[in-house]
Amino acid sequence: MTGEALRSDALRKVYATRGAPPVEALAGVSMEVRPGERVALLGRNGAGKTTFLRIASTLLRPTSGTIEVFGHDAARAPDKVRPYIAVVPQEGKPFFHLTPREQIYTYLRARGLGRETAKARTEEALGRMGLLDFADRLAITLSGGQRQRTMVATVVATQAPLLFLDEPTIGMDPFARRAVWESFRTLTTRGSTILLTTHYLDEAEALSHRLYIIESGRVLRSGTAEELKRSVGGTLKVTLSGGNGLAESFRSFGSVMDDGEQVTVIVNPERLSELMDLALRSRVSATVGPVTLEEAFLRVVGRSINED
Amino acid sequence: MRTEAARRPSPFRGFRAFFWTEVLVQAHENLAMATSMVVQGVLLVFVWILDPSLIGVALLGAILFSMFTMGQRVLNEAAYIRIDHKANDLYLAGPLAPEAYFLGMSVGILVVYLSPVVILWILAAFVVHFTVVLVLLLLGVSAVVWISAASIGYVFSTFFRDNRAIWAYASLFFNVFGVLPPVFYPFDRFPTALQPVALVMPPSAAAALVQHAIGATPLAPGQIALAATSLVVEASAIFLFAIYWARRTVQGA
Ligand SMILES: Nc1ncnc2c1ncn2[C@@H]1O[C@H](COP(=O)(O)OP(=O)(O)O)[C@@H](O)[C@H]1O
Ligand SMILES: [Mg+2]
Repeated sequence: MTGEALRSDALRKVYATRGAPPVEALAGVSMEVRPGERVALLGRNGAGKTTFLRIASTLLRPTSGTIEVFGHDAARAPDKVRPYIAVVPQEGKPFFHLTPREQIYTYLRARGLGRETAKARTEEALGRMGLLDFADRLAITLSGGQRQRTMVATVVATQAPLLFLDEPTIGMDPFARRAVWESFRTLTTRGSTILLTTHYLDEAEALSHRLYIIESGRVLRSGTAEELKRSVGGTLKVTLSGGNGLAESFRSFGSVMDDGEQVTVIVNPERLSELMDLALRSRVSATVGPVTLEEAFLRVVGRSINED
Repeated sequence: MRTEAARRPSPFRGFRAFFWTEVLVQAHENLAMATSMVVQGVLLVFVWILDPSLIGVALLGAILFSMFTMGQRVLNEAAYIRIDHKANDLYLAGPLAPEAYFLGMSVGILVVYLSPVVILWILAAFVVHFTVVLVLLLLGVSAVVWISAASIGYVFSTFFRDNRAIWAYASLFFNVFGVLPPVFYPFDRFPTALQPVALVMPPSAAAALVQHAIGATPLAPGQIALAATSLVVEASAIFLFAIYWARRTVQGA
């Protein structure tokens, strides 16, 4: 076994659909995930996140490039990889005619776990994910968020060495999301590795050790949330409203974004008082806050789109 | 944690558990079990009214038709849980063997949908004189027809991306091949020129052998050989291909 839980090198995937131009979903993605890490893939819709996860989890062949999971080639030796992994598919659903308890238990049994282990893990996962109140109701009677929690619980219960989770918390309430984060943290402290995608940037920040931003099938940035936030040229975000031509007047302070209603400026603390002075003189309302990962993401990806 | 991985991969790994999963899932569809008998029921009523002397042939045909349309259920189920539930992603990106997934699903469906077939057997027993040989023959050809149909159903399921298209194609395929050839009616009423075709299609080949066994339509030795050989050869070939295909298509068709 090599050092990495996952390593991809120049991974490409071109979807060829009859009667339509081919789509290059991955245009050479290289990344690595170390054992015990929680890594998030961020990117706009269609960036290639699901494609990457499906190739890594042996559900899709790449067009070229290599991808290894615990040292085994996921494309050419999928049988060697499968025992190590578990997947929450994007938009997956539990069987409607099973209860969450049955779904988790039968799934663990189908993965080859013994009765006692499967039973114990099922109860643990139901408890952790707050599913006990409806553990014996058919999934067809559950809400969307409850079904999604069942899917996540099913996969978390495997305690597989490497988990792939494609938008695992979609549709969940804030309490449920936190329960999921907690269960992911527990898994990695027990030695599992997690690669997930999410559009909730607060989640990515709270949960992952490192992030990859994917855009048009390429890795645009990688690093910690801190590094990413610092890369946008400041640690503070000033939101301005109530004036005309704000974007122009404040451009000299740092990166500016204008959404029509408000203008946000990223600044370093040293220039904050100067900026606030100008805002005061121009009779513009200004609110100061820390740069969020969402802010950084918007700027990094936005810049890349503009360059195209 | 690594114990799962340490075991040797077997094509049956997880079969029993996935089979039970499928039984639990299917058993909830009570109405579907009744619906699975609609075509047979209607045809049996027609035969009963038009020519009661043929009801034995029709009942045996209904048993074989029921085994054949299990393939339609496999097709629908495999496509539905892959497309709607992403069950392929959940189950196959893991230690469960792809073969066990296909077989577990097929056998699960078989077991659940066998209950209405048992009723057909009981009805047939009132009309047809069941000898040991006939029972064994009927069991044998039922199994062979089922293996072909389930394999065809699973392989077909991998070609679809949308459930709507499946409803149309699956129903067309299984009803045309199960109803038009001489399955419910005597083999010798089928146009002579087309009889060899009927002898190489699993449901009608099986029906011809069974009809011969009860003396309804005697076959020539050559016809018996053709029907028996094509049944066994086709079922084996399709089944082996389905096993291969089940593993191959995990990474996309
Ligand atoms: N089966 C497919 N056939 C053709 N194109 C596809 C297929 N799946 C995804 N794509 C395309 O590949 C690109 C990446 O998709 P995906 O990996 O699902 O993105 P993400 O998960 O980041 O939203 C998109 O342009 C999408 O339209
Ligand atoms: Mg996606």
